[in-house]
Amino acid sequence: MLDIRNLRATVAGEEILKGLNLSVKPGEVHAIMGPNGSGKSTLTNVLSGRDGYAITGGEALFEGRDLAELEPEERAHAGLFLAFQYPVEIPGVSNLEFLKASLEATRKAQGKEPWDAVTLLRHARETCKQVDLDPQFLKRGVNEGFSGGEKKRNEIMQMLLLQPKLALLDETDSGLDIDALQVVARGVNSLRSPERAIVLVTHYQRLLDYIVPDYVHVLANGRILKSGGKELALELEQRGYGWLTGEEEASA
Amino acid sequence: MSATAQEPLNVQLKQQALALARAGLREDALQSVRRDALALLEHTEFPDKRTEQWKYTSLQALTAGHLTRVARGNGASLPAPLATHRLVLINGHYQPALSQLPDSITLTRFDGSRALAAETASDTLRTPFAWLNNATLTDGLQLDIADNTVVDAPVEVLLLATDDAPSHCQTRLRVQLGHHSRATVIERYAATGPVLTNAVTELVAGAGSQLTHYRLQAESPESLHIGTLIIAPGRDSNVHSCQLMQGNVLRRNDVRAIMAESGASLALNGIFVGRGNSHIDNQITVEHRVPHCHSEQLFKGMAGDTAKLVFNGRIHIFEGAKGTNAELSNKNLLLTPGAEVDTKPELEIYNDDVKCSHGTTCGQLDAQSLFYLRSRGIDAAEAKRMLGFGFVNELLGALPDQAVAEWARPWLEQALTEAEPAK
Repeated sequence: MLDIRNLRATVAGEEILKGLNLSVKPGEVHAIMGPNGSGKSTLTNVLSGRDGYAITGGEALFEGRDLAELEPEERAHAGLFLAFQYPVEIPGVSNLEFLKASLEATRKAQGKEPWDAVTLLRHARETCKQVDLDPQFLKRGVNEGFSGGEKKRNEIMQMLLLQPKLALLDETDSGLDIDALQVVARGVNSLRSPERAIVLVTHYQRLLDYIVPDYVHVLANGRILKSGGKELALELEQRGYGWLTGEEEASA
Repeated sequence: MSATAQEPLNVQLKQQALALARAGLREDALQSVRRDALALLEHTEFPDKRTEQWKYTSLQALTAGHLTRVARGNGASLPAPLATHRLVLINGHYQPALSQLPDSITLTRFDGSRALAAETASDTLRTPFAWLNNATLTDGLQLDIADNTVVDAPVEVLLLATDDAPSHCQTRLRVQLGHHSRATVIERYAATGPVLTNAVTELVAGAGSQLTHYRLQAESPESLHIGTLIIAPGRDSNVHSCQLMQGNVLRRNDVRAIMAESGASLALNGIFVGRGNSHIDNQITVEHRVPHCHSEQLFKGMAGDTAKLVFNGRIHIFEGAKGTNAELSNKNLLLTPGAEVDTKPELEIYNDDVKCSHGTTCGQLDAQSLFYLRSRGIDAAEAKRMLGFGFVNELLGALPDQAVAEWARPWLEQALTEAEPAK
């Protein structure tokens, strides 16, 4: 589903990804862990097409299509979803209008039947409940005045409505208390299916107690240094990253 | 005496205005108003680029001869009403057959049949175009609402300008709200064809009254509008004026609020959307002449394509006006590289015991927000439209009359769609 081969990318002229390889197949859940500044967020930003991230070598293929050639909205239409580390606040645009525009455009591009206003509202309300958000949030500006946890749950709600093939979750666990973490994890787990894949980018092992990955990768200095099963995460939890990167770092 | 093409535009315009004013002289109850205005016109130069208040706005479009021809109409149909009670003026002339007046409002026309005690002196109006309006005053509406009266439903005044050729019309509206009364007036301009509307509107709010005023300028792109709005809030009155406008060939508004009675409170809001090659110039002056008045201004502008927005917001606090609270904010969004915004706050403060704040900003759509929307499958054009709409929607949500907001939303959406850069 996702094939990243020897990917190199720069941000503001500085090379952050230095030959990264990763292969994700349908049905799999991958966790990418690594110390701060290792290139985790750069990877998700490059994959989702944010401005300012330039691919300078290698390639990233999504179901055989070169992501570099797709606009951000085309990547979404193809079934890629990024849950933002820092979801943006957009006052004046209501959550519901935003969901409507997003679902209309995406469902149309995917050849799915459009949802009428009633259907949309019904799905949106149900999904709100699923992630423990008051449906009143639908009327408010996008993420406007939301707490950190509410913003993350809003991301998961969008993901559940869009039903992507590949979900990239960028530090979705950061800033969540244990209850919110479980809500988010339930949402993500409900998306797991043989046709879909999930890539979790995280700093901490604790998310992986709730969303159990098939593979764990350690990203450092722009490359995958080590890959393994879920037990690798536990080892990282105990030993930190220093034994892999050759640098001293306190364990998380 | 006739203007020749060799003369500078401001000289030509002055001569055209004088010709109109002289042709309009007649002996009736309003003759002194017209004569005073004519005298002022005779002794004043029309503005050009060297005039500070006209630095960013050219009158070049008027070389098409708008002032030499009076708009006669082209049978354009009326837009659907916004309120149950609507008064209609076509090319400045009141249309009783098309109008419906609530019982609580008394209507008087400026037709010269009787003197109006309170006609605005020309020196209050201050601009040559407003004087021209006074000098040619033969119709228009004065709406009087008696003391201690509540006009429940909003009253719409539709001012339609129509003609197929470059021409002009003079519109006049005065609203006089009695003390401790309440009313909502929707002043709505519409136009088809290349007509210049030269508008003068006065709002006089009695002591303790509450006036909600909308100034909707939704004329067609080929029209022109030069308008003067005078607001005079009475003691302890509460005036809210909301001005929504789209760009056209030339749009210029001179707004003057005179806080001359203590305890008055004024809120001025506005949304300007420039599209195509249009031009919108708003010159706002709030004068705090007496103590303990409150004024707040929030104006939001959006310019797409090669549109140009000009904003000048002046707060003048007089020496005796202690305890004044005055705020001004103008925020602008540039949607395209070809768009232009010239904004300037001006403060003139002669009293220390005041609170006064001002701020103007000018920016582009936030790249993070744009990416966020696009990452959810919304294409770039739609994402820009949504963000632009969100920028002004905050203001619409706060309007006291949701009927106006409901009307304004699709209208603004349309303006925004048209403001999209041509690809």
